[in-house]
Amino acid sequence: MIKLLKIEYQKIAPYKTFWVLFGLYFAVLGIIIFGTQSFINEFFVDVRKNSPIPIPTVSLYNFPDVWQNITYLGGYFKIFLAVLIVILVSNEFSFRTIRQNIINGMSKSEFLKSKLLFIFSISLASTLFLFISGLILGLTHTTYISFSKVFNNSYFLFVYLLELFSFLSFAMLVGFLVKKSGFAIGILLLYSYIIERILWYKIPEEISEYFPIRMIGKLIDVPNTALMKIFGINFRNFVSFPDIAIVIAYTILFIFLTSLLLKKRDI
Amino acid sequence: MKETILSINQLSKHYGRIRAVDNLSLDIERGNVYGILGPNGSGKTTTIGIILGVINANSGSYKWFGNEPTNNDRKRIGSIIETPLFYPYLTAIRNLKIIADIKGLGYESIENVLKTVDLFERKNDVFKTYSLGMKQRLALAAAMLGNPEMMILDEPTNGLDPQGIADTRDLIKRIASEGTTIFLASHLLDEVQKVCTHVAVLNKGKKLFSGDVDEVLTDTFTIEIASDNLEELQKTLNDFPNLHSVTKDGDKLTVRVKGKTNGRDLNSFLFNKGIILTHLAAKKKSLESYFLELLSDKK
Repeated sequence: MIKLLKIEYQKIAPYKTFWVLFGLYFAVLGIIIFGTQSFINEFFVDVRKNSPIPIPTVSLYNFPDVWQNITYLGGYFKIFLAVLIVILVSNEFSFRTIRQNIINGMSKSEFLKSKLLFIFSISLASTLFLFISGLILGLTHTTYISFSKVFNNSYFLFVYLLELFSFLSFAMLVGFLVKKSGFAIGILLLYSYIIERILWYKIPEEISEYFPIRMIGKLIDVPNTALMKIFGINFRNFVSFPDIAIVIAYTILFIFLTSLLLKKRDI
Repeated sequence: MKETILSINQLSKHYGRIRAVDNLSLDIERGNVYGILGPNGSGKTTTIGIILGVINANSGSYKWFGNEPTNNDRKRIGSIIETPLFYPYLTAIRNLKIIADIKGLGYESIENVLKTVDLFERKNDVFKTYSLGMKQRLALAAAMLGNPEMMILDEPTNGLDPQGIADTRDLIKRIASEGTTIFLASHLLDEVQKVCTHVAVLNKGKKLFSGDVDEVLTDTFTIEIASDNLEELQKTLNDFPNLHSVTKDGDKLTVRVKGKTNGRDLNSFLFNKGIILTHLAAKKKSLESYFLELLSDKK
């Protein structure tokens, strides 16, 4: 396992495109997570002036709410990582280095394993980034800190890890299926943001709510802030186990389909 | 009894209606320098793709080292496939490190193989800056990593300049002389003849002919002769020193003689034995035309 991860690392270590995109991802993620609060504050100053009812202060960074708030925000940026994965996978086809890897003695399942390990590592890196950011933000914004308060909702981090891993497995499948990076990125974006969304409206809710991108996206629901309560909107502030089970099933399906493609097709 | 390294059994692969490989069988023994010779599109590269696990055959089987194939066999084989495949943004060294890691080798031999193919000076340049010839040489270096016991070379001199071609052939011969088994695919008769000990001629996926290179591809010269007594003539011919083969062709004998002998030598030899020829026609047949004939014979 370490060996496969080392090989993956060798492939990207001096690859500038990868590091630029990867760095950009964390920069944007950091700015959004650390900057959303002040954006909201600015916004509320304006709103309060004209509001007939008093609007409560919204704090995103209090323990334990911070975990759901930042993992929810972070979920919007997983597409960055997905594009990276698509590029790395389709590169192996356009450079035909997958062929070279196999000929030199890697098995097809080892090749798939190395990509999965890589996807997991990237998901883990992003989760750790949120964990550290959450700790910093929580500790500096919460008045009364207790151990249980800090870690109460930290399971959102694990759900976030699953969300990323599942979506990146989907991106990997698209990369293996389409093989041309530009085209594959197009398909990934088109399906995630347009095709599936159109289907949500065309197909009855009972069915379309189980579509993969939707399921992955709603693992962590919109945080229930005090503001939402005023408007009478009540989102889930927990994670449903059936949702997790379905997303895990989807992830297994994506990996299975990828391995099928790898086995059946000539490389 | 020699050890069979690779055994291909009735292998077939078709793309739609095109039969890229058609019921191909062959055995390669340890120490062979085995050439597959055939024009472009005769199925050489497809065959190599199949035995290296990247193309799925429609039927038939193959065995490596006497066993069902696994990916670990490929770690014992150094291969060059039609075009050099490397990560374009990585240096030669880094590309070879990845291959060494896959094969489970240390990095010690990387510098050596780069020196052997004369790329040591460029070892820290990225692959995409290489010329075609350099890319081909890096592929050869990659195939040589870890001194594999078997090498598969698909058109190894493709894209090289004349000096590069000569160097590569010398290198292959040197590697072969150290006991490495070699499987070489080429469309160049000359190359197979210069390098190989065994050959299979392939056309449209079918094996037309296989055997010893000396048997199949010696530079021979064909002479048609006849005399009043063909049997006696045939008997006497057996004593001719440079004889390659004799076949009876109606009322004439078709004689293949080796190398530099010609009709005059044969005639004077037979005259000295007391045989007077009634017919003698030299049919100049070069190796190339023999090769082309092999390919056109069985359409």
